[in-house]
Amino acid sequence: MFLNDWLITPLRVIWDDWRARVGGIIILLYVLMGTIGVVLISEPRPGDGPRLIRPFQDWAHPLGTDINGNDLFAQTVHATPPMLEMIVAGAVFTTALAMVVGTLSGYKGGIVDRLLMTFTDILLTIPGLPLVIVLALVLDPRQPWVVGVILTINAWAGLARAIRSQVLTIREEAYIEAARLMGISTWRILLKDITPSLMPYVLVNFVNAARTVVFASVALYFLGILPDTFLNWGVMMNYAYSVGGALYTSGTAHWLFVPLMTIVVLSFGLILFAQGTDRVFNPRVRARHASQDDLEPGEDDMSGEVATQIRG
Amino acid sequence: MVNYYLARTAQALFTVFAVMTLAFGLIRLMPGGPMDFVRAQLQQEAGAVDQAQINAMVEVYTNVHPEQPLLDQYVDYMSGIMRGDLGVSMWYDRPVSEILAMALPWTVFVMTISLAFTFGIGISLGAAMAYAEGSRFDSISTLVSIFLNSIPYYVAAIVMVYFLGYESGMFPIGGRISSDVTPGLNIPFIASAFYHAALPIASFVITAFGIQALAMRGNSIRVLGEDYLRVAQLRGLPPHDIALRYIGRNAILPMYTGFMISIGFMFGGSVILEEIFAYPGVGFYMFRGIEARDYPLMMGAFILITVAVVIGVYVADLTYGKLDPRASTKGGDREAF
Amino acid sequence: MTEPEPTTTKMGRPVFEVEGASVTYDMDRGVSRVLDDATIDIFEEEILGVVGESGSGKSMFASSLLNAVPPPGTLDGEIRYHRDGEVIDLLGLSPEQLRRVRWEDVAMVFQGAQSSFNPTISIRRHFEETLEAHEYDIENGLEHARQLLADLYLDPERVLGSYPHELSGGMQQRALIALSLVLEPDVLVMDEPTAALDLLMQRSILSLLENVKEKYELTVVFITHDLPLVAGLADRLAVMYSFKFVEIGRAEDVFSNPKHPYTRALLNAIPNLDTPRSRMHPIEGSAPDPVNVPTGCSYHPRCPLADEQCEAAEPPLAETTDKHHAACYYWEEAMEEIELSIESDEPAVDDTVVGRQSDEPVVSVDAVDVHFEQGGGGLFGFFSDPDTVHAVDDANLEIYENDVVALVGESGCGKTTLGKAIIAAQRPTNGTVRYRGQDIWGTRDGRVDGEIPWEQIRRSLQMIHQDPGSSLNSHRKIKSSLEDPLRRWHPNMDPGDREERILGMLEYTGMSPPTDYALRYPHQLSGGEKQRVALIRALLMNPDVILADEAVSALDVSLRLEMMDLMLELQDAFDTSYVFISHNLSNARYFAGNADGRIGVMYLGELVELGPVDEVIDEPLHPYTKVLKWATDDMELSDRIEDPPIRGIDIPDPVNPPAGCRFHTRCPEARTVCREESPSLDEAVSAHPTACFREYPMEHPYWDSEPVDDAEETVTGDPIDAG
Repeated sequence: MFLNDWLITPLRVIWDDWRARVGGIIILLYVLMGTIGVVLISEPRPGDGPRLIRPFQDWAHPLGTDINGNDLFAQTVHATPPMLEMIVAGAVFTTALAMVVGTLSGYKGGIVDRLLMTFTDILLTIPGLPLVIVLALVLDPRQPWVVGVILTINAWAGLARAIRSQVLTIREEAYIEAARLMGISTWRILLKDITPSLMPYVLVNFVNAARTVVFASVALYFLGILPDTFLNWGVMMNYAYSVGGALYTSGTAHWLFVPLMTIVVLSFGLILFAQGTDRVFNPRVRARHASQDDLEPGEDDMSGEVATQIRG
Repeated sequence: MVNYYLARTAQALFTVFAVMTLAFGLIRLMPGGPMDFVRAQLQQEAGAVDQAQINAMVEVYTNVHPEQPLLDQYVDYMSGIMRGDLGVSMWYDRPVSEILAMALPWTVFVMTISLAFTFGIGISLGAAMAYAEGSRFDSISTLVSIFLNSIPYYVAAIVMVYFLGYESGMFPIGGRISSDVTPGLNIPFIASAFYHAALPIASFVITAFGIQALAMRGNSIRVLGEDYLRVAQLRGLPPHDIALRYIGRNAILPMYTGFMISIGFMFGGSVILEEIFAYPGVGFYMFRGIEARDYPLMMGAFILITVAVVIGVYVADLTYGKLDPRASTKGGDREAF
Repeated sequence: MTEPEPTTTKMGRPVFEVEGASVTYDMDRGVSRVLDDATIDIFEEEILGVVGESGSGKSMFASSLLNAVPPPGTLDGEIRYHRDGEVIDLLGLSPEQLRRVRWEDVAMVFQGAQSSFNPTISIRRHFEETLEAHEYDIENGLEHARQLLADLYLDPERVLGSYPHELSGGMQQRALIALSLVLEPDVLVMDEPTAALDLLMQRSILSLLENVKEKYELTVVFITHDLPLVAGLADRLAVMYSFKFVEIGRAEDVFSNPKHPYTRALLNAIPNLDTPRSRMHPIEGSAPDPVNVPTGCSYHPRCPLADEQCEAAEPPLAETTDKHHAACYYWEEAMEEIELSIESDEPAVDDTVVGRQSDEPVVSVDAVDVHFEQGGGGLFGFFSDPDTVHAVDDANLEIYENDVVALVGESGCGKTTLGKAIIAAQRPTNGTVRYRGQDIWGTRDGRVDGEIPWEQIRRSLQMIHQDPGSSLNSHRKIKSSLEDPLRRWHPNMDPGDREERILGMLEYTGMSPPTDYALRYPHQLSGGEKQRVALIRALLMNPDVILADEAVSALDVSLRLEMMDLMLELQDAFDTSYVFISHNLSNARYFAGNADGRIGVMYLGELVELGPVDEVIDEPLHPYTKVLKWATDDMELSDRIEDPPIRGIDIPDPVNPPAGCRFHTRCPEARTVCREESPSLDEAVSAHPTACFREYPMEHPYWDSEPVDDAEETVTGDPIDAG
């Protein structure tokens, strides 16, 4: 019953949209790479193979090797677990904080709302990347999950605002007032009546936050602003760029392009998934495509505006 | 109406104030943070110079006076910034404000053109997609938009600088203008400026217009279903007017939120982009500051970028108030900033 | 099918000849026929009322008259439009010709005026662009527009200079009517133009419409679900059921001698002020689905007279008596067997539920004010002075056990706010609300240490909301929603008992099989069913007072009675009181009257009259109550709609209510003293409390003061002077 309402039905609905399906498969591949992949593929070591093999030449090194003979595929795979950890930390931090701030602000109103929203607005206006750079330099983070949180330090603000306006709409619904009048406690109303309506929205934004983390972390590792304590696609790019001189040295370009493509494919998967789920949950879009037959219950009533929130 | 502008202005000023305070806090209060770093660096370089002299130099460089009470330091720092004193760059050994003042116009130039192209292309393509909803053109454009949006702008930058810069040599791989042109309002200068800015602009535009096109498409489709559109058609308004005044205007207004986010995103991104293209703008100097651990330069650039974004968002917000008659009466309810 | 003969003698010449018009949509489930073979003539300068419930195809008929069926629907048949002796085939026009016909010859007004205007351009621009598009002279056109706006009791300059969102709903609707008339069309098609408005505003607009129609020699097609509303206005009435016309005839014939069983049932289902309450009956069953229309006469499943013939073959729309057409084999029987409530000979005996009303009030409201602050957002909100809205001022009211109090008034009069203050859903700004003598908010804040704990007060005061769509959480099954009150108040109840209780209530309220209903989601229920679930949810709390906030207004006319009957029946079983909020005096009368209750009339935040139902309805004392009664009145055709007994149509801004008696700006009886002094409810010497100086002792200075001068006082433009 619970499984059916909360997991199977939404999953089936998501599966119906091709974007969500393709995006979901891509995301799943990366997750497999970061979990099973690290077990199957041994860690890259210098001198594994000849130097600078190009991709698809030697099947012992499908994506080629770098200047030290490190296998690029193995590097890519072994950079995945810390990346996944960063993504999860960043996305959980973003959505959780946004949920708390947004719901509190929207449901409580008054001075709480004013203070929280002023704070949110200020954070929203400060350009993210420079702020993150300054913080990263000062804090010098070395655990993936800390990096994840720092990277999304102000990414939650936009989502919090969006959730607040959702809550403001839902709060005015008659059934919420009825629940209040029945003497049902605030936390129970939030849990039973308000949060379920926000879940699809939160899912979409969870995915977007993940993308923010991927983009920003790779950028900062690439620029060498974050310490290269563990393998990262950005670190690979940094070496290719600075050590290998990949931009102007012939024969090293693939060293740079392998991590580049890894990021682009993951990001593509995440966007597809977000777009697909957004379409599924957004009645405005869905209504145009749905037939007259009864819709599956359980994924009702999300007002849209999700797609427009995607940011880098 | 007047109150609406007042509130917006107050909010903008408060944001700038908050960012400066944050910068002060980071410089001054972080243990093992910038202050100590500057001191250590100076000690290393200067060697035998005595402590008092080093302290004095730290003050000059960071614009912070460590021996004063915290509040006085803070007031000094803030008033210094107000007067345009951002400290002295250790790497360049020149006042930070002087360096950044030279660089700012170039960053603003690249960002403005990028924003204009991003939204110009995004809005036109999105409108066309909505008009041809469900067609092949629509599905292909949607897919392309999503794909381009999934490329980080710095990836696009690297790819372009590699192929169009190093490999083919069609575009310059650094600098703001060629050395052989004289600055001023002459055609070679302007052409050279555009030539050097072309790749940075293209990196932003190519990776950013897709999401705007999709947003515009969604908005337009929504407006197409509105009653007032049906009434306008029945009133026999020319299709041109309907497209512009009815669909266009009502579909573009909600994109202001995205526009304001883009301002911050692009200015922030200048740190990476200008480094890749070796384009000496504010972001380039911020990165130089980071590399050399030149904190005054870095923090100065950080503050300047933030102030530029705040001003940009503020101006966008005020024009929104002019374009949407509902903005000022609904006031704080609007979703944006 | 025989076609009604176009006649030129009495009705004038036809402007429209509609023959066999059908609108179809191809859907996955089959072809949806949302207008089925409509055949009717519309004559010059007549007002044709088209009546039907929601989903009867009446809006499609309206769109067809402009050949503007929303895509991807297709319109077949023939529609001929007569312009100065020239016959135009509406379905055979080129796009440009069609563009010309629309608005220049035939214009249309839609229901939602708010959504009919482009929110980002001014009203003036709407007029200008319409004139430009049809190459009319802008100056003359705007002059005409000003005249039209003035005719509709609007201040032309103010309205033209406004943006749509700056006008009230009633003003928007009138501005839209003016916009539709700016090109001087011959025919105006109005699709539920007033449905979203208050009754008083509806009536006022109708009376203005009549004047405008005379002045500009218009033909009007007025589409509505509200038969009584249009009965006094229309020359002819056409009734639609299941996408077809089932009855067409002169308004007085259709209204007083309806021949189709559906029309008769519809009339009996509508509450009004005159009919004995015991004779109003809901229609059984529900309207058919457009993909799956019953064979034969589509009304046969709900018709008491139906037999095999009705199931087998569809009765044609045939002339019965003079110019009166009906699609029924048994129209003669129908006239005899289905008795109309309004013409019954039997003496009206109304059974009222005589409540065991207590002497001590359950809830008493003492000098309560509720003010809201508008504007001011964000931390920097202090730059904008918040406006104070006086939602309720100085209200005094007592609710007894088994009591029913109906609060009536226009939207924005504060009736909902007062209702919420009564059930402690809204904290008053000033004053006290007591539950069985104990200060409710004092108890809540712990300031008062009474015998009754806050929890008990909370559960005793419940509410049913207006909108069935939002009264239930769409993510939760009915059973889950109904379990909430039981879980909260009987945490130790056995799950089996809980389920039994819920199923029992569902069954009792006519939702069977209850096990099936319990597992449904709200969107699988009809509006009426959702409201019944909301009622059950409130009753499961065993409350003393239930606030029913427009609980029946969103339902189809034929369902309203059913719902009110159910509520009254349950009042008896559950020993509860109701505060019933409505803008419709007839609903209030039906509901409160059947329980021997009271009616309270509110205007701009103040209670202006409070008394037993029959007194207030039959002999209203306050001028405002008289206006409301005028708006609700009656199903009589003999006299045409008169001008409203009121000086201004629009309500003053509650942010800045008029000084003195708040009604003086609109009151036809206002005198100069009303501007300065404010009458109170309890100083009147009338039969029941009335806040009007006319009900004060005779020596009151009112009688010596001058009547208010209209020219200086009217809020909106004067129809004659302006423009």
